[in-house]
Amino acid sequence: MSRTSNRADGDIVQDFLSVADLLEEPQLAQLYAYLAREGEATVQNVMDDLELAQGTAYSYVNRLVDAGVVDVTDDEQPRRYAAREIDLTVTTAAGDREYTITPALIDAVGRRETDADIDTYIDRHGVAGLATALTYAVARERGEVTHRLMADDLDISPLAAEMILQALRPVVHEHYEIEEAGAGLEELAIDGDGADDA
Amino acid sequence: MSRLHIADTGLFVAMGQPSNSRYQAVRRFARRNDVTFVLPERVYEELTVDDPEVEDVPVDAAIDEGWATVASSLEFSEPVVSRAMDGVQRYIANADDRPADDVERADAALAALAAQHLSTGAASAVYIYTTDIAAGEGAETVLASEGYGDSVTFVNGFRFIEDLVAGDS
Repeated sequence: MSRTSNRADGDIVQDFLSVADLLEEPQLAQLYAYLAREGEATVQNVMDDLELAQGTAYSYVNRLVDAGVVDVTDDEQPRRYAAREIDLTVTTAAGDREYTITPALIDAVGRRETDADIDTYIDRHGVAGLATALTYAVARERGEVTHRLMADDLDISPLAAEMILQALRPVVHEHYEIEEAGAGLEELAIDGDGADDA
Repeated sequence: MSRLHIADTGLFVAMGQPSNSRYQAVRRFARRNDVTFVLPERVYEELTVDDPEVEDVPVDAAIDEGWATVASSLEFSEPVVSRAMDGVQRYIANADDRPADDVERADAALAALAAQHLSTGAASAVYIYTTDIAAGEGAETVLASEGYGDSVTFVNGFRFIEDLVAGDS
Protein backbone atom coordinates (compact mmCIF):
# COMPACT_ATOMS: atom_id res chain seq x y z
CA MET A 1 0.00 0.00 0.00
CA SER A 2 2.44 2.59 -1.16
CA ARG A 3 0.61 5.51 -2.63
CA THR A 4 0.81 9.23 -2.51
CA SER A 5 -1.89 11.71 -1.75
CA ASN A 6 -1.66 13.43 -5.10
CA ARG A 7 -3.15 10.46 -6.96
CA ALA A 8 -6.75 11.48 -7.25
CA ASP A 9 -8.69 8.25 -7.10
CA GLY A 10 -11.20 6.89 -4.63
CA ASP A 11 -8.73 4.47 -3.08
CA ILE A 12 -6.67 7.32 -1.75
CA VAL A 13 -9.62 8.76 0.13
CA GLN A 14 -10.27 5.31 1.59
CA ASP A 15 -6.63 4.89 2.69
CA PHE A 16 -6.45 8.39 3.95
CA LEU A 17 -9.45 8.01 6.22
CA SER A 18 -8.42 4.64 7.55
CA VAL A 19 -4.88 5.65 8.36
CA ALA A 20 -6.13 8.90 9.86
CA ASP A 21 -8.32 6.77 12.16
CA LEU A 22 -5.25 4.85 13.23
CA LEU A 23 -3.47 8.03 14.20
CA GLU A 24 -6.48 9.44 16.01
CA GLU A 25 -6.92 6.36 18.16
CA PRO A 26 -3.77 5.30 20.03
CA GLN A 27 -5.27 1.89 20.90
CA LEU A 28 -5.69 1.09 17.21
CA ALA A 29 -2.18 2.37 16.50
CA GLN A 30 -0.83 0.22 19.31
CA LEU A 31 -2.58 -2.87 17.90
CA TYR A 32 -1.33 -2.15 14.38
CA ALA A 33 2.25 -1.74 15.69
CA TYR A 34 1.89 -5.00 17.61
CA LEU A 35 0.79 -6.91 14.49
CA ALA A 36 3.59 -5.31 12.44
CA ARG A 37 6.10 -6.43 15.05
CA GLU A 38 4.74 -9.96 15.51
CA GLY A 39 4.26 -10.71 11.81
CA GLU A 40 1.10 -12.73 12.47
CA ALA A 41 -1.19 -13.13 15.42
CA THR A 42 -4.57 -14.51 16.48
CA VAL A 43 -7.16 -12.58 18.47
CA GLN A 44 -6.20 -14.75 21.43
CA ASN A 45 -2.57 -13.56 21.07
CA VAL A 46 -3.80 -9.96 20.96
CA MET A 47 -5.88 -10.47 24.11
CA ASP A 48 -2.96 -12.05 25.96
CA ASP A 49 -0.18 -9.71 24.87
CA LEU A 50 -2.04 -6.40 24.91
CA GLU A 51 -4.26 -7.33 27.84
CA LEU A 52 -7.49 -6.60 26.00
CA ALA A 53 -10.90 -8.08 26.73
CA GLN A 54 -12.21 -10.46 24.05
CA GLY A 55 -14.91 -8.09 22.80
CA THR A 56 -12.50 -5.18 22.57
CA ALA A 57 -9.85 -7.25 20.80
CA TYR A 58 -12.33 -8.48 18.16
CA SER A 59 -13.73 -5.00 17.66
CA TYR A 60 -10.27 -3.43 17.17
CA VAL A 61 -9.03 -6.18 14.84
CA ASN A 62 -12.18 -5.94 12.74
CA ARG A 63 -11.88 -2.18 12.45
CA LEU A 64 -8.30 -2.53 11.23
CA VAL A 65 -9.39 -5.17 8.70
CA ASP A 66 -12.28 -2.99 7.52
CA ALA A 67 -9.89 -0.08 7.18
CA GLY A 68 -7.67 -2.20 4.95
CA VAL A 69 -4.50 -1.93 7.03
CA VAL A 70 -4.68 -5.48 8.40
CA ASP A 71 -5.19 -8.68 6.39
CA VAL A 72 -6.60 -12.05 7.36
CA THR A 73 -3.71 -14.35 6.43
CA ASP A 74 -5.33 -17.65 7.38
CA ASP A 75 -9.08 -18.09 7.27
CA GLU A 76 -8.99 -21.38 9.23
CA GLN A 77 -10.02 -21.00 12.88
CA PRO A 78 -8.41 -19.44 14.74
CA ARG A 79 -7.93 -16.76 12.12
CA ARG A 80 -4.53 -15.19 11.85
CA TYR A 81 -3.99 -11.51 11.14
CA ALA A 82 -1.05 -9.53 9.77
CA ALA A 83 -0.38 -5.81 9.32
CA ARG A 84 -0.11 -4.46 5.77
CA GLU A 85 2.83 -2.22 4.93
CA ILE A 86 1.81 1.39 5.13
CA ASP A 87 3.86 4.03 3.40
CA LEU A 88 1.58 6.89 2.65
CA THR A 89 2.45 10.50 2.13
CA VAL A 90 -0.20 12.88 3.35
CA THR A 91 -0.60 16.62 3.43
CA THR A 92 -1.69 18.33 6.62
CA ALA A 93 -5.17 19.83 6.79
CA ALA A 94 -3.69 23.29 6.51
CA GLY A 95 -1.94 22.12 3.34
CA ASP A 96 1.40 23.53 4.41
CA ARG A 97 3.33 20.34 5.16
CA GLU A 98 3.73 16.80 3.97
CA TYR A 99 4.68 13.80 6.03
CA THR A 100 4.84 10.07 5.54
CA ILE A 101 2.87 7.63 7.63
CA THR A 102 5.07 4.62 8.31
CA PRO A 103 4.79 1.69 10.74
CA ALA A 104 7.34 3.49 12.95
CA LEU A 105 5.16 6.61 13.11
CA ILE A 106 2.06 4.56 13.92
CA ASP A 107 4.02 2.77 16.63
CA ALA A 108 5.13 6.13 18.06
CA VAL A 109 1.56 7.44 18.10
CA GLY A 110 0.40 4.21 19.78
CA ARG A 111 2.82 4.90 22.61
CA ARG A 112 1.15 8.19 23.58
CA GLU A 113 -1.10 6.13 25.85
CA THR A 114 1.83 5.13 28.02
CA ASP A 115 4.39 7.89 27.36
CA ALA A 116 3.59 11.36 28.69
CA ASP A 117 6.35 13.03 26.64
CA ILE A 118 4.98 11.68 23.35
CA ASP A 119 1.44 12.58 24.40
CA THR A 120 2.41 16.18 25.22
CA TYR A 121 4.40 16.53 22.02
CA ILE A 122 1.45 15.42 19.86
CA ASP A 123 -0.85 17.81 21.74
CA ARG A 124 1.51 20.69 20.97
CA HIS A 125 2.84 19.83 17.53
CA GLY A 126 0.33 17.37 16.05
CA VAL A 127 1.04 14.04 14.40
CA ALA A 128 2.82 15.92 11.61
CA GLY A 129 5.14 17.42 14.21
CA LEU A 130 5.77 13.99 15.70
CA ALA A 131 6.62 12.68 12.22
CA THR A 132 9.25 15.41 11.93
CA ALA A 133 10.63 14.62 15.39
CA LEU A 134 10.85 10.94 14.43
CA THR A 135 12.97 11.87 11.40
CA TYR A 136 15.35 13.74 13.72
CA ALA A 137 15.36 10.82 16.18
CA VAL A 138 16.55 8.44 13.45
CA ALA A 139 19.23 10.89 12.27
CA ARG A 140 20.40 11.50 15.83
CA GLU A 141 20.78 7.76 16.58
CA ARG A 142 22.83 7.53 13.38
CA GLY A 143 25.13 10.32 14.57
CA GLU A 144 24.03 12.78 11.90
CA VAL A 145 22.34 15.43 14.02
CA THR A 146 22.24 16.56 17.63
CA HIS A 147 19.35 17.60 19.87
CA ARG A 148 20.59 21.18 19.63
CA LEU A 149 20.41 21.26 15.84
CA MET A 150 16.87 19.90 16.01
CA ALA A 151 15.96 22.58 18.58
CA ASP A 152 17.40 25.29 16.31
CA ASP A 153 15.63 23.99 13.22
CA LEU A 154 12.24 23.62 14.90
CA ASP A 155 12.49 26.63 17.21
CA ILE A 156 11.91 24.64 20.39
CA SER A 157 14.11 24.54 23.50
CA PRO A 158 17.05 22.10 23.43
CA LEU A 159 15.55 20.45 26.51
CA ALA A 160 12.21 19.85 24.76
CA ALA A 161 14.11 18.42 21.79
CA GLU A 162 16.13 16.08 24.02
CA MET A 163 12.95 14.90 25.80
CA ILE A 164 11.11 13.87 22.63
CA LEU A 165 14.26 12.36 21.08
CA GLN A 166 14.66 10.16 24.14
CA ALA A 167 10.97 9.23 24.14
CA LEU A 168 11.23 8.19 20.47
CA ARG A 169 14.50 6.29 20.84
CA PRO A 170 12.87 2.87 21.53
CA VAL A 171 10.74 3.31 18.38
CA VAL A 172 13.85 4.09 16.32
CA HIS A 173 15.68 1.02 17.63
CA GLU A 174 12.60 -1.15 16.98
CA HIS A 175 12.16 -0.11 13.35
CA TYR A 176 15.60 0.88 12.05
CA GLU A 177 19.04 -0.69 11.93
CA ILE A 178 21.17 1.34 14.33
CA GLU A 179 24.82 0.66 15.03
CA GLU A 180 25.89 0.91 18.63
CA ALA A 181 28.14 3.92 19.27
CA GLY A 182 30.28 5.08 22.18
CA ALA A 183 31.45 3.29 25.28
CA GLY A 184 29.33 1.60 27.92
CA LEU A 185 30.20 0.91 31.52
CA GLU A 186 32.64 -1.91 30.64
CA GLU A 187 34.91 0.31 28.57
CA LEU A 188 34.98 2.95 31.29
CA ALA A 189 37.66 1.11 33.23
CA ILE A 190 35.91 2.24 36.38
CA ASP A 191 34.38 -0.27 38.68
CA GLY A 192 30.65 0.36 38.44
CA ASP A 193 29.89 -1.89 41.33
CA GLY A 194 32.83 -1.33 43.63
CA ALA A 195 32.51 -0.40 47.29
CA ASP A 196 29.46 -0.96 49.42
CA ASP A 197 26.52 1.32 48.99
CA ALA A 198 26.86 4.39 51.17
CA MET B 1 45.88 9.98 37.30
CA SER B 2 43.08 12.49 37.52
CA ARG B 3 39.92 11.92 35.60
CA LEU B 4 37.40 14.45 34.40
CA HIS B 5 33.79 13.39 33.80
CA ILE B 6 31.92 15.79 31.52
CA ALA B 7 28.14 15.37 31.30
CA ASP B 8 25.83 16.57 28.53
CA THR B 9 22.13 17.42 28.78
CA GLY B 10 20.99 14.00 27.59
CA LEU B 11 22.59 12.15 30.49
CA PHE B 12 20.54 14.10 33.01
CA VAL B 13 17.35 13.79 30.99
CA ALA B 14 17.86 10.02 30.70
CA MET B 15 18.26 9.64 34.47
CA GLY B 16 14.76 10.94 35.17
CA GLN B 17 13.59 12.10 38.59
CA PRO B 18 15.40 11.26 41.89
CA SER B 19 12.74 8.62 42.63
CA ASN B 20 13.74 6.81 39.43
CA SER B 21 16.04 3.77 39.56
CA ARG B 22 18.14 5.24 36.73
CA TYR B 23 18.84 8.43 38.70
CA GLN B 24 19.69 6.38 41.79
CA ALA B 25 22.01 4.07 39.83
CA VAL B 26 24.00 7.01 38.46
CA ARG B 27 24.18 8.64 41.89
CA ARG B 28 25.40 5.36 43.41
CA PHE B 29 28.04 5.06 40.66
CA ALA B 30 29.23 8.62 41.32
CA ARG B 31 29.46 8.12 45.07
CA ARG B 32 31.18 4.75 44.94
CA ASN B 33 33.77 5.93 42.48
CA ASP B 34 34.20 9.44 43.82
CA VAL B 35 33.04 10.88 40.51
CA THR B 36 31.72 14.41 40.09
CA PHE B 37 30.01 15.11 36.77
CA VAL B 38 31.06 18.47 35.37
CA LEU B 39 28.55 20.36 33.22
CA PRO B 40 29.61 23.03 30.75
CA GLU B 41 27.74 26.27 31.52
CA ARG B 42 25.67 25.99 28.35
CA VAL B 43 24.53 22.50 29.35
CA TYR B 44 23.44 23.74 32.77
CA GLU B 45 21.50 26.57 31.11
CA GLU B 46 19.76 24.09 28.83
CA LEU B 47 18.77 21.86 31.71
CA THR B 48 17.36 24.68 33.81
CA VAL B 49 15.43 26.47 31.05
CA ASP B 50 11.94 27.60 31.99
CA ASP B 51 9.93 25.66 29.41
CA PRO B 52 6.31 24.89 30.35
CA GLU B 53 6.32 22.17 27.69
CA VAL B 54 8.70 19.90 29.59
CA GLU B 55 9.15 18.53 33.07
CA ASP B 56 11.96 20.01 35.20
CA VAL B 57 15.21 18.05 35.22
CA PRO B 58 16.61 17.55 38.74
CA VAL B 59 20.13 18.80 37.96
CA ASP B 60 20.12 21.13 40.97
CA ALA B 61 19.34 18.14 43.19
CA ALA B 62 22.46 16.38 41.89
CA ILE B 63 24.52 19.54 42.46
CA ASP B 64 23.16 19.87 46.02
CA GLU B 65 23.98 16.21 46.62
CA GLY B 66 27.54 16.95 45.58
CA TRP B 67 27.99 14.66 42.58
CA ALA B 68 27.50 17.26 39.84
CA THR B 69 28.94 20.71 39.34
CA VAL B 70 28.96 23.48 36.76
CA ALA B 71 32.26 24.27 35.03
CA SER B 72 33.65 27.77 35.05
CA SER B 73 33.74 29.65 31.74
CA LEU B 74 35.83 28.27 28.91
CA GLU B 75 39.19 29.90 28.34
CA PHE B 76 39.09 30.72 24.67
CA SER B 77 42.44 32.49 24.92
CA GLU B 78 43.94 28.98 25.02
CA PRO B 79 44.45 28.12 21.34
CA VAL B 80 43.65 24.43 21.86
CA VAL B 81 40.27 25.34 23.37
CA SER B 82 39.24 27.38 20.32
CA ARG B 83 40.63 24.74 17.97
CA ALA B 84 38.59 22.01 19.70
CA MET B 85 35.51 24.20 19.52
CA ASP B 86 35.90 24.93 15.81
CA GLY B 87 36.88 21.36 15.03
CA VAL B 88 33.78 19.83 16.59
CA GLN B 89 31.51 22.40 14.97
CA ARG B 90 33.01 21.44 11.60
CA TYR B 91 32.69 17.72 12.37
CA ILE B 92 28.99 17.98 13.23
CA ALA B 93 28.32 20.28 10.29
CA ASN B 94 29.88 17.70 7.96
CA ALA B 95 27.81 14.89 9.44
CA ASP B 96 24.64 16.78 8.63
CA ASP B 97 25.77 18.60 5.52
CA ARG B 98 25.20 22.11 6.80
CA PRO B 99 27.42 25.19 7.36
CA ALA B 100 29.64 25.01 10.47
CA ASP B 101 28.27 28.37 11.65
CA ASP B 102 24.85 26.75 12.08
CA VAL B 103 26.16 24.28 14.64
CA GLU B 104 25.30 25.14 18.22
CA ARG B 105 28.38 25.99 20.24
CA ALA B 106 27.11 23.97 23.19
CA ASP B 107 27.69 20.81 21.13
CA ALA B 108 31.34 21.76 20.87
CA ALA B 109 31.67 23.00 24.46
CA LEU B 110 32.03 19.40 25.68
CA ALA B 111 35.22 18.92 23.65
CA ALA B 112 36.48 22.42 24.41
CA LEU B 113 36.18 21.81 28.15
CA ALA B 114 38.04 18.51 27.75
CA ALA B 115 40.81 20.21 25.76
CA GLN B 116 41.19 22.89 28.41
CA HIS B 117 41.71 20.36 31.20
CA LEU B 118 43.98 18.08 29.18
CA SER B 119 46.23 20.88 27.91
CA THR B 120 46.82 22.34 31.37
CA GLY B 121 47.38 18.88 32.85
CA ALA B 122 44.44 19.34 35.22
CA ALA B 123 43.16 16.01 33.90
CA SER B 124 44.93 13.10 32.27
CA ALA B 125 41.80 11.23 31.20
CA VAL B 126 38.46 12.68 30.15
CA TYR B 127 35.11 10.91 29.81
CA ILE B 128 32.37 12.65 27.85
CA TYR B 129 28.86 11.38 28.66
CA THR B 130 26.41 12.38 25.95
CA THR B 131 23.36 11.03 24.13
CA ASP B 132 24.34 12.89 20.94
CA ILE B 133 26.54 10.47 19.05
CA ALA B 134 27.69 13.20 16.66
CA ALA B 135 28.91 15.34 19.59
CA GLY B 136 30.64 12.39 21.31
CA GLU B 137 32.34 11.06 18.20
CA GLY B 138 33.22 14.57 17.10
CA ALA B 139 34.94 15.22 20.42
CA GLU B 140 36.92 11.97 20.21
CA THR B 141 37.98 12.64 16.63
CA VAL B 142 39.01 16.26 17.13
CA LEU B 143 40.87 15.64 20.40
CA ALA B 144 42.68 12.69 18.81
CA SER B 145 43.96 15.09 16.16
CA GLU B 146 45.30 17.24 19.01
CA GLY B 147 47.23 14.24 20.32
CA TYR B 148 44.78 13.26 23.07
CA GLY B 149 43.45 10.14 21.36
CA ASP B 150 44.20 7.87 24.30
CA SER B 151 42.91 10.29 26.88
CA VAL B 152 39.33 10.87 25.70
CA THR B 153 36.40 8.45 25.85
CA PHE B 154 32.93 9.14 24.47
CA VAL B 155 30.53 7.37 26.83
CA ASN B 156 27.10 6.69 25.33
CA GLY B 157 24.76 8.04 28.02
CA PHE B 158 22.04 5.49 27.29
CA ARG B 159 24.38 2.50 27.34
CA PHE B 160 26.04 3.76 30.51
CA ILE B 161 22.74 4.01 32.39
CA GLU B 162 21.40 0.73 31.01
CA ASP B 163 24.60 -1.03 32.12
CA LEU B 164 24.37 0.49 35.59
CA VAL B 165 20.71 -0.43 36.04
CA ALA B 166 21.33 -3.97 34.73
CA GLY B 167 24.23 -4.34 37.20
CA ASP B 168 22.03 -3.25 40.09
CA SER B 169 19.23 -5.71 39.47
